[in-house]
Amino acid sequence: MQGLGVSQMVLIALLVALLNLNAGAASEVPRPLGVSLAKASLYQPRAGDNSWTCLDGSRSIPFSQVNDDYCDCADGSDEPGTSACTKGQFHCLNKGHQSVDIPSSQVQDGICDCCDGSDEAQVVGCPNTCLELGAAAAVQRRNEAELHKRGAERRLEMITRGKQLRAEREARRLELEQRRKEQELLRSEKEQLKKTAEALESEAIEIYKEQQREVEAETAQAEQEPQQTRQEASLSFVRYDTNKDGFVEVTELMVDMNLDRDRNGVVTVEEAKFFLDERERVDLDAFVTLAWPRIKPLAMLAEGLFHPPHPPKPETEQAEVTTEAIQPTPPKPSEEQAELAGDEDIEADEEGEEDQYDDEEPDVGVGEASPDVEDVTPPNYDPETQRLIQQANEARNALEEVERSLRDIEQEVREIDDQNNKGYGQTEEWAVHDGQCYNFEDREYVYTLCPFDRASQKSRSGGAETTLGRWENWIGEPKKYSQQKYANGASCWNGPNRSAIINIRCALEPKITAVSEPNRCEYYFEFETPAACDSEAFQADSEKLHDEL
Amino acid sequence: MRFAQATVAIIFALFVLADGVDPGNFKTCEQSSFCRRSRKVQSAGSKYALIPGTLNTYADSLTADLVNKENHHQFAFKLEALKGSTFRLQIDEKQPLRSRYRVEHALKGQPQAEHIRIQRETDGEIVIISEKNKAVIHGDPFRIDFYENDVLVVSVNAKNWLYFEHLRPKTQEQTPEPAQNENQQEQDAAVETPKAADAIDDPGAWEENFKSHHDSKPYGPEAVALDFSFPAAEVLFGIPEHADSFILKSTSGTDPYRLYNLDVFEYIVDSKMALYGTVPVIYGHGQQRTAGVYWQNAAETWVDIQTSETNVVSSLVNFVSGSRKTPPPAAHFMSESGIVDAFILLGPKPMDTFKQYAALTGTHELPQIFALAYHQSRWNYNDERDVTSVSAKFDEFNIPMDTMWLDIEYTDGKRYFTWDKFKFPQPLTMIKNLTELGRHLVVIIDPHIKRDNSYFFHQECTDRGYYVKTREGNDYEGWCWPGAASYPDFFNPVVREYYASQYALDKFQTVTADVMLWNDMNEPSVFNGPEITAPKDLVHFGNWEHRDVHNLYGHMHLMGTFAGLQQRDPNQRPFILTRAHFAGSQRYAAIWTGDNLADWSHLQHSIKMCLTEAVAGFSFCGADVGGFFGNPDSELLERWYQTGAFLPFFRAHAHIDTKRREPWLFPERTRQVIQNAVLKRYSYLPLWYTAFYELELTGAPVILPLLANYPLDKEAFSVDSQLLVQDRLLVRPVMQQGVSKVDVYFPAIDEKKNGDWWYDVDTYQRQERSGYVSVSVDDNKIPVWQRGGSIVPKKERQRRASTLMLHDPYTLIICLDRQSKASGSLYLDDEKSYDYRQGKRIHVNYKFTNDQLVNHFVGKPKYKTDAWIERIVIAGLEKLPSSASITVNGISQQLEVIQHDQAVVVRKPGVKMDVDFVIKLNYV
Repeated sequence: MQGLGVSQMVLIALLVALLNLNAGAASEVPRPLGVSLAKASLYQPRAGDNSWTCLDGSRSIPFSQVNDDYCDCADGSDEPGTSACTKGQFHCLNKGHQSVDIPSSQVQDGICDCCDGSDEAQVVGCPNTCLELGAAAAVQRRNEAELHKRGAERRLEMITRGKQLRAEREARRLELEQRRKEQELLRSEKEQLKKTAEALESEAIEIYKEQQREVEAETAQAEQEPQQTRQEASLSFVRYDTNKDGFVEVTELMVDMNLDRDRNGVVTVEEAKFFLDERERVDLDAFVTLAWPRIKPLAMLAEGLFHPPHPPKPETEQAEVTTEAIQPTPPKPSEEQAELAGDEDIEADEEGEEDQYDDEEPDVGVGEASPDVEDVTPPNYDPETQRLIQQANEARNALEEVERSLRDIEQEVREIDDQNNKGYGQTEEWAVHDGQCYNFEDREYVYTLCPFDRASQKSRSGGAETTLGRWENWIGEPKKYSQQKYANGASCWNGPNRSAIINIRCALEPKITAVSEPNRCEYYFEFETPAACDSEAFQADSEKLHDEL
Repeated sequence: MRFAQATVAIIFALFVLADGVDPGNFKTCEQSSFCRRSRKVQSAGSKYALIPGTLNTYADSLTADLVNKENHHQFAFKLEALKGSTFRLQIDEKQPLRSRYRVEHALKGQPQAEHIRIQRETDGEIVIISEKNKAVIHGDPFRIDFYENDVLVVSVNAKNWLYFEHLRPKTQEQTPEPAQNENQQEQDAAVETPKAADAIDDPGAWEENFKSHHDSKPYGPEAVALDFSFPAAEVLFGIPEHADSFILKSTSGTDPYRLYNLDVFEYIVDSKMALYGTVPVIYGHGQQRTAGVYWQNAAETWVDIQTSETNVVSSLVNFVSGSRKTPPPAAHFMSESGIVDAFILLGPKPMDTFKQYAALTGTHELPQIFALAYHQSRWNYNDERDVTSVSAKFDEFNIPMDTMWLDIEYTDGKRYFTWDKFKFPQPLTMIKNLTELGRHLVVIIDPHIKRDNSYFFHQECTDRGYYVKTREGNDYEGWCWPGAASYPDFFNPVVREYYASQYALDKFQTVTADVMLWNDMNEPSVFNGPEITAPKDLVHFGNWEHRDVHNLYGHMHLMGTFAGLQQRDPNQRPFILTRAHFAGSQRYAAIWTGDNLADWSHLQHSIKMCLTEAVAGFSFCGADVGGFFGNPDSELLERWYQTGAFLPFFRAHAHIDTKRREPWLFPERTRQVIQNAVLKRYSYLPLWYTAFYELELTGAPVILPLLANYPLDKEAFSVDSQLLVQDRLLVRPVMQQGVSKVDVYFPAIDEKKNGDWWYDVDTYQRQERSGYVSVSVDDNKIPVWQRGGSIVPKKERQRRASTLMLHDPYTLIICLDRQSKASGSLYLDDEKSYDYRQGKRIHVNYKFTNDQLVNHFVGKPKYKTDAWIERIVIAGLEKLPSSASITVNGISQQLEVIQHDQAVVVRKPGVKMDVDFVIKLNYV
């Protein structure tokens, strides 16, 4: 090192001083600046030649080049105490507080990053604040421990109540299962009765019909219609099935530009799948019943055959093509559909993804959607026939009633299952929050969180409530029950659907403490509840932390 | 979404468009009366002649009278020689009804005159000589040919497209009667000629409508137009700002290029439409000569370009046959009002021409180092916590970042010079949190002023009459971000002074002297105005119409801001970013390419646009990294960071409707790629800083198109996917989706296709031949080469901000040429204050020859610094040296030499920056 003075060489002297100083002052183990106690043993010169090998083994250098303010090792391990290596780490011992590793980029940059000031040269004058910080951190930990302890008591109550609710649901479910079995038996019985009554009824009607045969001769043609449709369908099946494997696949449909419903010049997989009833491929039967009714109007449109309004055709199925996306309202002209679809904020909540079809639907449906309900006035039956019809009607009604009751049961079972699947925490502590709602007001809005249901927003100056998201799932990492997600809220103008993430912390009372929108249409709620208070887990965490210190 | 509220919803409703701008909102030439009229001359030509006997000559100029032979209106013609192979040509009406506007404040000062002598004066021809240049003035038809060293480089009015509409009184009839129209004076010379040719029967001559807007045009037609041919040129470039190729395209069959500062929403690329800035300087370049014309006019201007769109084949044919089959490239400037005031820049080399232009309009000042580092912006960082936590995240992920930006939402209801007290209750604390980490804050201040009687600024402007006026004399009221807004008349020096005083820290108390400024929307943008800007018949200070000064409005705004920042802290270099700009605005501000789109085509245009801006004076140029509108995917964002890292102004910015895109919100790999790109930028900061100092010193642009340094290489003329950083780096960013290779063009230095040697900056692999080379790239690769023969200074240590690198040591990268030589400069100072102008600086040239590196200081190295040289990398040595020795003050010391990739590293010379030294390589 004699040459240093000659060429005015820099900070090295200072650094060497620091190195020595640290080796003395850190008492326990002498080691270069910026090296943790755990790694101290790795920084020993090799006996004999006084060399040292980079921790990645890439090369050996004289030990005097460790912390000499020049980066020799590719992994930066030779400069733990300087800023010379971009990939290096500096270990702040921070006696009295928590030790941390900081990147070498923060060493000797004039900013005190370690509370013991060890990352900066003495001239910078970083005060050692570790004792104060350590004491403050200890106080905070104690407070938090106390909070968790008291909160955990409340959580226990929530757990008790949650378990009770779960037990009630289980009991109810069992009861429902029992009732279902009863109703199913009843249903077979009613089905039998209905069958008998209908047999009698149709026999009587047949007689009556015989008399009407002549009159109905011309409707025979209409009955042939399905046959004709099948023939058409089969023909196009053969046409579409270009690889002749007995199935029409999505890719085979994608070549037919008539199916480009949004007219953007390509038939997308989604578009093609729509015509295959959302399947990858269909066989002939499925094609005839499911696919052809959807394809046919477009095929006809393409051939110029389709002139709305059209004479009687088996159109009810076609109508379903365009109306299935909306609720079981009668088919409507597509202009109205468009309006309905445009009302996104309201509709999107109700219908989830299905309403996309409404958006994309071009007006291919114009004129085809008039329901083919023939207003036939009932014929005048003789009294006996009427009585049989009456009986059959009653049998049908009786069966329907049983089926309705079964449906109700199934619905309730599903609801219970849904609730059980929501995941009310490890020990049902969250169950009591389901059904509750919490509000938070800021300058402009009132935010509402109804756990396991939805998050929403309403302007304080009035107006409709905007859904920010519906319950989706728990997404905390690594602690699953520390974060909830609500998704598929009302869609934003020119943007995505709104969504909300709920960060959860322990407190004695459930409440929202803050709401923000860091990302457009992505909301963050800070929510506190005793359900998140876990004294043992907290204790375990702090002990782990303590061990590291 | 909070934002989609009341006023803004209305504003957005004005532009509901999915696929970019609706060109129908902006005028075509055909829809602009003066453009129509001026362009019409191209078919018939005009007849102007000097009036014999009116010539007067002076030491550095000559004057004469010019007459329009068709209507006999007379004009004053003046030709002046300026220092540095430049001529200035002015034509005004001899006796106008009303003064015509002459641009002020664009030139950096009074240009220095140069002596002339009359070489020959015959009947129809005057030949004047100024140094090695010659101007030949033809009397009838009027034309001037400019020669540089006896080569004809610029011809003025060679096409006879000069068109000068003299001011005239408005007559009763729509079409003015010729007899009444002429002024009484000077008529005697021409009474016998009928004046029919003087009639302007264009329906838009005296009033004009566009969409729902009416332009009253009280002074009638007053256009000026002139053509410039470049006989020694093959291509034309310049006249920013357009989102188009670097080389100007022919406008035959299309609209002319338009220069009219406009706020274009979602602009489209490959377009001649006007954008935010106007720099009416054009260059003609050929292998032997480069020349330029600066058309100094602040009114709306259209420029027709006549050029044969050459391809390789046709240029080869021309080359072989030795003849030019097409007329030389030409530009036809057409302005709505003002006078003809043209500067002819005679070159002869590209760099000479750029410097001639810089000598007229000035250069950027050397910026503070942080301004050249990485900027993080978004419309908007929502509140103080947001700002602080984004800053902290950069540290958490160990990505350097220097500056956080606040867009309009930080204000109290878009009242500039105020803060939203709810979102930003403690701005000074927030600012301190940043500055304590070596970071800076930039806040936006726009020129539109909210019309709110309880807003002090509006009150004072109203009371004192500081706003731009309507024709009737009322304060003009437009619509912008705050809703109803008025616009200070920055043309009034009193208003500028008032405005500047607002920046004083005792006035604007919620910022510190380290908070810098962003001036946006200063075209000016007026949401409900014609073409989203101010009506042309507004009235400015001095009774000038907005028509006359439109393109200067942003410039005047900047002058106010710049003065304010200088007064606020006289020894600190201001930093301002502006959107609108005019010739000369580079003296005050950096620019960015405005509201671009997250799309590959816009990424590609960021280079083309900044190259054009750089040769037009605006080296300090960048584009919003990631694209302002839309959401870039990982790949586009990565590539954009890599490209932005090699443009002078490096800022990520995004629209309020876009998803957040801070690097840590992307997958880890993307974050790493971004981190690498940012680190690369920081490592080259010494080069950028040196280049900006040398720009201030010499006017040489910081970034350059290939043709600037390789003027002989025809194939290089049109390459605008690559750029040079000075003459040291060649950058070819990856700007296509999903590619594993890019074609890189290595320019030729001579006709024999010899090229420089180029070294890949990552591997030091050498490229020895010119021409296209296909280069493999992975996602992390930024294809950059250092020229053999150059030395590049770097700082390879990482810091969280550039300001914290001040004392860090330097690395010198030496890439050898064929003669095993290299040289390069380094500049350093305190990176913040004006002390460098008092000599506290170090400017040093390094030279490597004969295995020896020496330094030579330019002037005395008076800046005191702890910085030192930690490493010297040498690429291109034929054999590996065994060691090196450094000698300082006659005392030598041995240094270790390590082989690294295809280069050698001299370990730790340790010498300080202000000390003379010699480093010699030793071979055993």
